[in-house]
Amino acid sequence: MSFHATDTLYVALAAYALGTLIALASLVTRSKRPQHAALLVMIGGFAAHTMWIGTICARTGHPPLTNLPESAAFLAWTIFAVEIVLYIRYRVYAAAFFVYPLVLILLTLAAVIGESPMQLDPALRSNMFTAHILLSTVGVAGLLIGLAFALLAYLQDRSLKSKRRGALWEMIPSLSICRMVSYRALAIGFSIYTIGLLAGVLWSYRTNAGFMDFRVKQIGAVVAWMLFAALLQMFISGTFRGKRMLVVSACAFVAIMVSILGIAHV
Amino acid sequence: MPLILTGLNHRTAPLEVRERLSVAEGMIPTVVNALRNLEGVEGAALLSTCNRVEAIVSANSEDVISTIVDFLSTQAGADRATLEKHLYIIRHADVVKHLFRVASGLDSMIIGEPQIGGQVRKAFQSAQELGTLDPLLQQVFEQTMRVAKKVRTDTAIGEHAVSVPYAAVELAKKIFGDLRGLQVLLLGAGDMGELTAEHLHNQEVKQVFVANRSFQRAQELAARFDGEAVQFDAIEANLAACDIVIASTAAPHFVIETDQVTRALEARRMRNLFLIDLSVPRNINPAITNIEGAYLYNVDDLQSVADANLEIRQQKAKEAETIVAKEVESFRRKLIAQDAVPTILELQQRLEEIRTCELEKCLRKVGPITPEQRAAIEMLTSQMTNKILHYPILQLKDAPEEPEERETLRRTIRKIFGLG
Repeated sequence: MSFHATDTLYVALAAYALGTLIALASLVTRSKRPQHAALLVMIGGFAAHTMWIGTICARTGHPPLTNLPESAAFLAWTIFAVEIVLYIRYRVYAAAFFVYPLVLILLTLAAVIGESPMQLDPALRSNMFTAHILLSTVGVAGLLIGLAFALLAYLQDRSLKSKRRGALWEMIPSLSICRMVSYRALAIGFSIYTIGLLAGVLWSYRTNAGFMDFRVKQIGAVVAWMLFAALLQMFISGTFRGKRMLVVSACAFVAIMVSILGIAHV
Repeated sequence: MPLILTGLNHRTAPLEVRERLSVAEGMIPTVVNALRNLEGVEGAALLSTCNRVEAIVSANSEDVISTIVDFLSTQAGADRATLEKHLYIIRHADVVKHLFRVASGLDSMIIGEPQIGGQVRKAFQSAQELGTLDPLLQQVFEQTMRVAKKVRTDTAIGEHAVSVPYAAVELAKKIFGDLRGLQVLLLGAGDMGELTAEHLHNQEVKQVFVANRSFQRAQELAARFDGEAVQFDAIEANLAACDIVIASTAAPHFVIETDQVTRALEARRMRNLFLIDLSVPRNINPAITNIEGAYLYNVDDLQSVADANLEIRQQKAKEAETIVAKEVESFRRKLIAQDAVPTILELQQRLEEIRTCELEKCLRKVGPITPEQRAAIEMLTSQMTNKILHYPILQLKDAPEEPEERETLRRTIRKIFGLG
């Protein structure tokens, strides 16, 4: 039986699905053991995922960023890589409840659409374009992680205020850590995303002789950029709290997802 | 070899008995050495805390129990009959179970309290340094420390604060994470407030400010925490600088109002503020709880945190008991198997001698045979001896728990096979 690159993608998908399921089940048992098991399974999936990316790189000579499924898969990979780093540093169990499903959804999207890796259009074969895609993806991963931690901070804040402990109480780190990680991820993610967008604008100017042509993904990206800028400003001024924080975060999340899904319409 | 534990604890003896038997840290070497030198004692250790005193020995027989009780009576300066009423005597595998439970905090007054693990380790280390442990006790203590660690790691039984001051520290950690570098403001000189400030001080907070109506009292208290006394009227200026505020005054009205906290939070650029109101009547306006970034807990809130934690600890204790039971069983099997090893080796050696001797005799009679034939006969005889030894070895490995019964079985087997 021959071994295809897509096989590793399916192995990764199966492991992510299993890991997410175990992590969500640990919400009921409230114990750390299934969490460890889930993390191990997810790391197994991550290894398969890495192999898949490596295979695509070797075959096409560039990172898998040419179409929506590839970008979604690469984004999922970046998000999980950041999650592992944060887990090692802060032992944040609860982030798993948001990050694992997100990774799973993004990779499912990649597997379902499953276009074969494209040979790059000569127009797309430029360093500026690669920089645009790579930086935007890494930036988005940072922003999404930042949002996940903002949500954790919100949940922690609510349980401290209401004096009732939810299922996540034990698994969420201190409020300060949630806010600090969220802020750093958002600030770093935003900076990288901004450079990525600028690279995109410059590339578009060179190839299409125009900065923008107002397609869905471009509008989504600009709206997301503005929302994240507002969100960071709120963070710095200390008003990024409570319901307001939740609403702005949700809007920013939708905008960023629209800009990602808009990749299908390059 | 029998293991025997003789002692008393907070459940079996009142404080006045416990304090008489309690051994001061400096005296432990003398007492442990004396215990080890008692007739019939092979190895000895002593655990002495404010809630329990226990002499743990391994001995040749259970006859030493009486000697140990006499020894403890002399130590306590009490007559034997009086002390015996409070003493418990635990034997063999139950000693292992008891030690596993004690070191894990399952036998403590406050279930799951973490100090006892350290105290057991200290008792172990001091006996080890004095050289009073025999190999059996050494193994028992090593395993006890491993089990205690496993219980704490797997169940996290000690992680939940069960008193009001500790609950406040736990919440502060949930808000700020690391407490080092934080500033604390203590208002008033109530006992509970003082205790909470002390716990926070032990967490190495950066500075404790103390404000009291009597400035002199504030200075005295501040000196305890290496802190700074501030004027009671200057509370608002300090609110902005402090991260944790503990109110514990006798004032019949609010001393901290909402507008003060709003202004303080603005000055703090919205860094969180944790307010602990331990006074009755309350000193901090409860409406403050609605301000974003301010977390207000009163004495009832903290008590319910502590109560909820106690329930969690009780649940965790059930998990811990299961771990202990499993560990006791596996350790018991290990000890018994270990005990049987010399006899098993002797048995195997004895049968191997018989086999080789008889084989040589037989081969001399048979005359020349091919190497293949010799190998076949070798294999046949080896298999026979192995089969013969199978059940005796099984019996020795799975021997009864009581050392006397085990010894009888060992003797019988040795006699049957003609071992010296």
